[in-house]
Amino acid sequence: MHKLLLIAKREYLERVRTRSFLIMTLLIPALMFGITVVPTLIANRMDGGPKHLVVVASSEAMGEAIRAELEAGRGQPTRQEPEKNVTSKRNEMGAPRFIIDVDTNTSDAERDALTGRLKSKQINGVLWATSGALTAREVTFITTDLTNLGENFGIQEGLSRVVRQQLLKSKGMTNAEITAALKPVDLKAQSPMGAGGPNPEVLFLAIFAMVMVLYMAVFLYGMNVMRAVLDEKSSRVMEVMLSTASAKEMMAGKIVGVGAVGLTQVAIWVCASGVLSSGFLIAGADALKGLMSLKVLVFFTIFFLLGYALYATLCAAVGSMVNSEQEAQQLQFLVAAPLLVSVIIMLNVVQNPASQLALWASLVPFTAPLIMFVRIAVQTPGPPAWQIALSLALLVVTTYGLVVVCGRVYRIGILMYGKKPTLPEILKWIKYA
Amino acid sequence: MYTIELQKVRKTYGEFVAVNDISFSIEQGSVFGLLGPNGAGKTSTIRMMIGITAPDSGSIGLFGRPFTRDNLGRIGYLPEERGLYKKMKVLDQLQFLGQLHGLTAADARQRSVAWCRRLEISEKLQSKVEELSKGMQQKIQFIAALLHDPDFVIMDEPFFGLDPVNAGLLKDVLLDVKKNGKTILFSTHRMDQVEKLCDAICLIDGGKPVLQGSLKEVKSRFGKNNIQIQYEGDGVFLENNPLVRSFNDYGNYVELQLAPGADPQQLMRQVMERARVSRFELMEPSLEEIFKEVVGKPDA
Repeated sequence: MHKLLLIAKREYLERVRTRSFLIMTLLIPALMFGITVVPTLIANRMDGGPKHLVVVASSEAMGEAIRAELEAGRGQPTRQEPEKNVTSKRNEMGAPRFIIDVDTNTSDAERDALTGRLKSKQINGVLWATSGALTAREVTFITTDLTNLGENFGIQEGLSRVVRQQLLKSKGMTNAEITAALKPVDLKAQSPMGAGGPNPEVLFLAIFAMVMVLYMAVFLYGMNVMRAVLDEKSSRVMEVMLSTASAKEMMAGKIVGVGAVGLTQVAIWVCASGVLSSGFLIAGADALKGLMSLKVLVFFTIFFLLGYALYATLCAAVGSMVNSEQEAQQLQFLVAAPLLVSVIIMLNVVQNPASQLALWASLVPFTAPLIMFVRIAVQTPGPPAWQIALSLALLVVTTYGLVVVCGRVYRIGILMYGKKPTLPEILKWIKYA
Repeated sequence: MYTIELQKVRKTYGEFVAVNDISFSIEQGSVFGLLGPNGAGKTSTIRMMIGITAPDSGSIGLFGRPFTRDNLGRIGYLPEERGLYKKMKVLDQLQFLGQLHGLTAADARQRSVAWCRRLEISEKLQSKVEELSKGMQQKIQFIAALLHDPDFVIMDEPFFGLDPVNAGLLKDVLLDVKKNGKTILFSTHRMDQVEKLCDAICLIDGGKPVLQGSLKEVKSRFGKNNIQIQYEGDGVFLENNPLVRSFNDYGNYVELQLAPGADPQQLMRQVMERARVSRFELMEPSLEEIFKEVVGKPDA
């Protein structure tokens, strides 16, 4: 035990003291931020200022109505509680999205002229909303941004509203009546545990973030273990170590040491994000209430540690079998595959935490760390205790089995240089070691 | 008392027999040479002595008791495959390895400093290993093997790649270690070094012991039928000479082995007739000669 701790301590210090640890600690949150937030920002804000559209309508009145709707709603569906809708809030603060000209000339010549202006980039789009088109409910939108699906959807919604409004108006309804008639329904998903539960959108995002952290951490630190073993093997320090420590102590020491680095890093992230977003946390305390419960945090830690142990053991065995980074990379994929599968299954399980798929995936040890955690966090009422217990038991037993088997592979693999072992050879190692 | 005792130790890797029924023992306080050509099974034998692998059959006794891992702290090992943690500083590295062998952190540090002073690399204590030259790295590794004052030192090719000055430095250290009553095992295929240092040898080939015993005894077994001659003139007469079984021309002198039953006096007369002799010496065969004769192939 003493040697195991010494080895773990060495691994830990060697990693934490490096510059790359600092860089990774800073870079990964930046990367996650980049992946999730920046595209939204770009999509919402940085699309090059307001767009110049020309609305071609049969009557001035209809054209003005469309202009008013698109400029006011800025192409977004209206919400009953806009302060809860982050996107529309941002748009309200931002610059107007559209500058709209109304054109009542519906001749083909005008259409050609406008298309010409569009081609020469003087305008960004032409909305062919003649009375005929509106009656047929089929409006042509000539645009250079064909694939801006969000914006096109917004325009479609806006047009639909205008048509409905005009229709109701023609039936003699007052403006107030029309507003009341068109008021959308806001669906409030609520857990059976009662009101005041977490906001489902925030819940989804938070769970998703935690699963990604779980996935990244298990993946990154597993690979770290693999690289550490490979390093030790290629620097030939192995034999000196083996003359005093057993292979099992070395493997376990590595896994513990690198795991501690992982925990440190995750702890730094959790603390930093806690401090940085404390304002948001206070403001959104209601939304988060019941979400970051002690239960979820405890299970997060448990599944992080067990998932890491499982994958790190596999990685250590792989690291001991190969001779170079290139060889490691080929096998790395095999180890990472079940993790990737977990993430794919997770996307389904978040929506259907009580499904058969969720049940089985949360019991199979290789997907359990992610899936069972998601079920515990999302499912209401929580998954049955026996399922959690069974999942944990299977995970622990499998990890222990892998430690034994991989320990044998490790013991022999670390002394094997030269060619990569074949599967029958590895099986022989496991049998004879 | 024996420091280590191997009895009919055998190790196979699949079909391949790496070590085939080797038995020998090393007396405490002696220097023992484990010799053999490359691939003879030296490293495989050593690995079993320190529990990296376990023998398939046979037994190993360590410090007078059956082998246990608990005694590994009393062994110092310099493997043939040198290796250190490249990113670690020399002092941290030595401290770590010392602690693994049971020293306290403070003790390990203190000893490391003293050893580095003795081997003239004090100024590198705070350098990373990867910044050191190969010879310096080897010195660090050498220190690591001796840091915890082991009772049994195993050195696999300890002088390989060292210049004569540094090789001499390490040799003096090893002689000191011996003087303090410790046991040393050398594994090498460099016979000249063994000859200078070893009390006893075991020569293995193809996993089997082919020659073993004290150095004196082994040499006497091969008798005094070797002759070194230093002369000026043409040595052609030595070729196809019925008195000479084999000969080796080293340039400055010739070493030859007499044919069985040949009279050295007769050869001396022949040489005196054909060349100007400055030295003619009847001597024990060098270990290298014995090695070549027994193994039957040149030193690889």
